[in-house]
Amino acid sequence: MAEQAYTVVSDSETTGEEKTSSTFPEIAIGIDIGTSQCSVAVWNGSQVELLRNTRNRKLMRSYVTFKDEVPAGGVSDELAHEYDMLSGAAIFNMKRLIGRVDTDPVVHASKSLPFLVQTLDIGVRPFIAALVNNMWRSTTPEEVLAIFLVELRAMAEVKLKRPVRNVVLTIPVSFSRFQLTRIERACAMAGLHVLRLMPEPTAVALLYAQQQQQSSHENMGSGSEKIALIFNMGAGYCDVAITATAGGVSQIKALAGSTVGGEDLLQNLMHHLLPNMDDLFSSHGIEEIKRMGLLRVATQDAIHKLSSDISVPINLDLGNGTKLSKVLDRAEFEEVNKGVFEKCEALIKRCLQDAKLEAEDVHDVIIVGGCSYIPMVRNIVTSICKRDELYSGMNPMEAAVRGAALEGAVASGISDPFGNLDLLTIQATPLSIGIQADGSNFVPIINQNTTTPVRKEQIFTTVHDNQTEALILVYEGDEKTVEENHLLGYFKITGIPPAPKGVPEINVCMDIDASNVLRVFAGVMLRGMPYMEVRMPTVDDGHGWSAQALHKTYGSNLDVVTVQKKTQH
Amino acid sequence: MWMRKLRILTPFSQKLLFTKRETITISSSYCKPEFDFHTVEQFFPQYIRRVNFRGNNLGFCGRSLFSCEAAQRNSCWNCCNAKAFLVCTDCGCVQPVDHSVDYFKIFGLEKKYGIEGENLERTYKDWQRKLHPDLVHTKSQKEREYAAEQSARVIDAYRTLTDPLSRAIYILKLEDVHVDEEEKIDDVELLTEMLEIRETVDEAADSQALKQIQEQCGVWTSGQIPIQGKFEQSSISFADALQSRKYIEALAAIRRMTYYKRANEEIVKKL
Ligand SMILES: [Zn+2]
Repeated sequence: MAEQAYTVVSDSETTGEEKTSSTFPEIAIGIDIGTSQCSVAVWNGSQVELLRNTRNRKLMRSYVTFKDEVPAGGVSDELAHEYDMLSGAAIFNMKRLIGRVDTDPVVHASKSLPFLVQTLDIGVRPFIAALVNNMWRSTTPEEVLAIFLVELRAMAEVKLKRPVRNVVLTIPVSFSRFQLTRIERACAMAGLHVLRLMPEPTAVALLYAQQQQQSSHENMGSGSEKIALIFNMGAGYCDVAITATAGGVSQIKALAGSTVGGEDLLQNLMHHLLPNMDDLFSSHGIEEIKRMGLLRVATQDAIHKLSSDISVPINLDLGNGTKLSKVLDRAEFEEVNKGVFEKCEALIKRCLQDAKLEAEDVHDVIIVGGCSYIPMVRNIVTSICKRDELYSGMNPMEAAVRGAALEGAVASGISDPFGNLDLLTIQATPLSIGIQADGSNFVPIINQNTTTPVRKEQIFTTVHDNQTEALILVYEGDEKTVEENHLLGYFKITGIPPAPKGVPEINVCMDIDASNVLRVFAGVMLRGMPYMEVRMPTVDDGHGWSAQALHKTYGSNLDVVTVQKKTQH
Repeated sequence: MWMRKLRILTPFSQKLLFTKRETITISSSYCKPEFDFHTVEQFFPQYIRRVNFRGNNLGFCGRSLFSCEAAQRNSCWNCCNAKAFLVCTDCGCVQPVDHSVDYFKIFGLEKKYGIEGENLERTYKDWQRKLHPDLVHTKSQKEREYAAEQSARVIDAYRTLTDPLSRAIYILKLEDVHVDEEEKIDDVELLTEMLEIRETVDEAADSQALKQIQEQCGVWTSGQIPIQGKFEQSSISFADALQSRKYIEALAAIRRMTYYKRANEEIVKKL
């Protein structure tokens, strides 16, 4: 078959499947970019192997230091001390910042980080800068992530002695599709092609599916269905998934996620130890950054120690006459972070509810991520899931990247003679997707936790007599009003024949394919009127801003309402 | 008025309106993409062409039912094995969607309502292992399209059969009985009951109170709310009505199931 000479890839096609398949498919590597740590793994032909950097480390710090001309990331860079990362020259926590606008509370909470995070609070991207030779040099989370990924890629290419292009990346459940495009953008900047973006706990679910299949082979068992609840809490995010596994196939039953993690525990405790912290550090002077670094390191150490000790002494001289000297006990730490722990609790409960399961239905409870060592976190998980024992077959810090590497091999079409890759993840949508209708209500068309690929449609109609145009505003999220959800994009349907309100029928159809690409088809149901096909998301920066602008210009002139309520399954 | 005029004036739009109504009902009860496509294909050929151009990314492809492949319906397009089902038993080739294969057949079940205790999950996963878009890399573009379509249909079949209400609606549809989920209810008894349930739920100030109501009702055990019990009763009466082909009664049972399900969802939301 003759190959097409030139292919023009559409502007939005960043995740298109590879059209050509060579005889020796390249095995995609798995990457877990954590808020604080990151790792790379690959299927080596018989099992998953974590790649080690030149300093023989499997887990690398996620940060990039800007100094002089060349930025250096945590893959190769050697930190003399933790404080070096906190000098203002290093950007970290990019996973918390990527794809967020400056009205986002997560961005605001990042203002107490040593580098510069500036907001105008109007729904545009925040200004981020690193301190280089006493100057604030601006950058973006995408750029920082790309620099980091270039290092990871170089490291992997040296280790594997081959070019690396295809990757499977793990992402938090709560990431909006807009955030996913930012991750894809960073990968593209680093010359990487994203084969899959996998919600972290679903990567863990795939590893679990493989382990279950292997143990059922060993026991000559029938491989009956097992339900597992996966709780994943790292520095930036907390995710829960429920998976039903049988014969290597993992069906995701429900997903729930939120932007709470170790960073929140840390910041809450820092504020507790130094209540006027924000005022003291707000101007980001060199001395202040240094003090902030001291406080951060001391607080971090205290949290680590409280995982094994009941209490920990804190003695800190911030140098400006501020001295901290106290004994912090575990109960105090837990009280300070009550809100965070309550959120974790709520996530697990919601996930069980969405999966229509009781705690007793769950066979295995898996807890992974950096926060899995915190006693309170374990208490919450064990008490809601009503058990004493947690699943012990996984390394909590490596589970997600191992799962990503498995998916990388499976999605690259690799097979294993021993059946170790006879695996499949059937994904579900982490967030509902719908449009604005019935005023400023969010009307979901594809509900949360719907198995993908999926196609759903709903009929809408006009709200004014002789309304000839309708504005379709596509949102993602699970809140009742659109303002609380993420705007993915918008477009206008034109040429609606003049008619009394409520008569024209506008069909909105949403399709998510196996590569998780979302397309919206919409049009007025009349012969000769072409449908619109819009690949989402279409919004670029400042999506908070554009929704307001649209509202100001059009008011409710181009609104739509639902024709009928649907029974949701 | 406008619609009616249009309907009388142009026979084409009559067909359009009719078919469209069908589409609405079907898609609102249990997503059946192949029917949506049927409609869309008839009236928006340009739309279908675009969808077909989506290459191997597509979730469902709008292949016509009446293509040459479908003509020799039961035999494999590749090796002519006469027993080809979703996937050919001889050569392993994925077959195009055959709409005469209903959801029950996909799961190897008899066409009956009571399928509790059947291991649908296992059959579902067995099919997905053969059909899921992630696992058919080595196949041709054509077969990958078939696989995407079949895989999606198996997902729909699984979703429909595992939910008692969707299963009831689906089985009636197979019997050519139309279910209008949006019809107004005139069953006074049901109306009164729904009002009572709503009042009790609304009056419950917090989840504690909601649970108290549930416990007072006596039926409530772990995860079970009294409405769930009522739902199950209706489900049983549906099965009886269906067996004796009393479709009016079957429809009434579906109506009850629909309302209990909604009420249940409201309670769960408030909990
Ligand atoms: Zn065959």
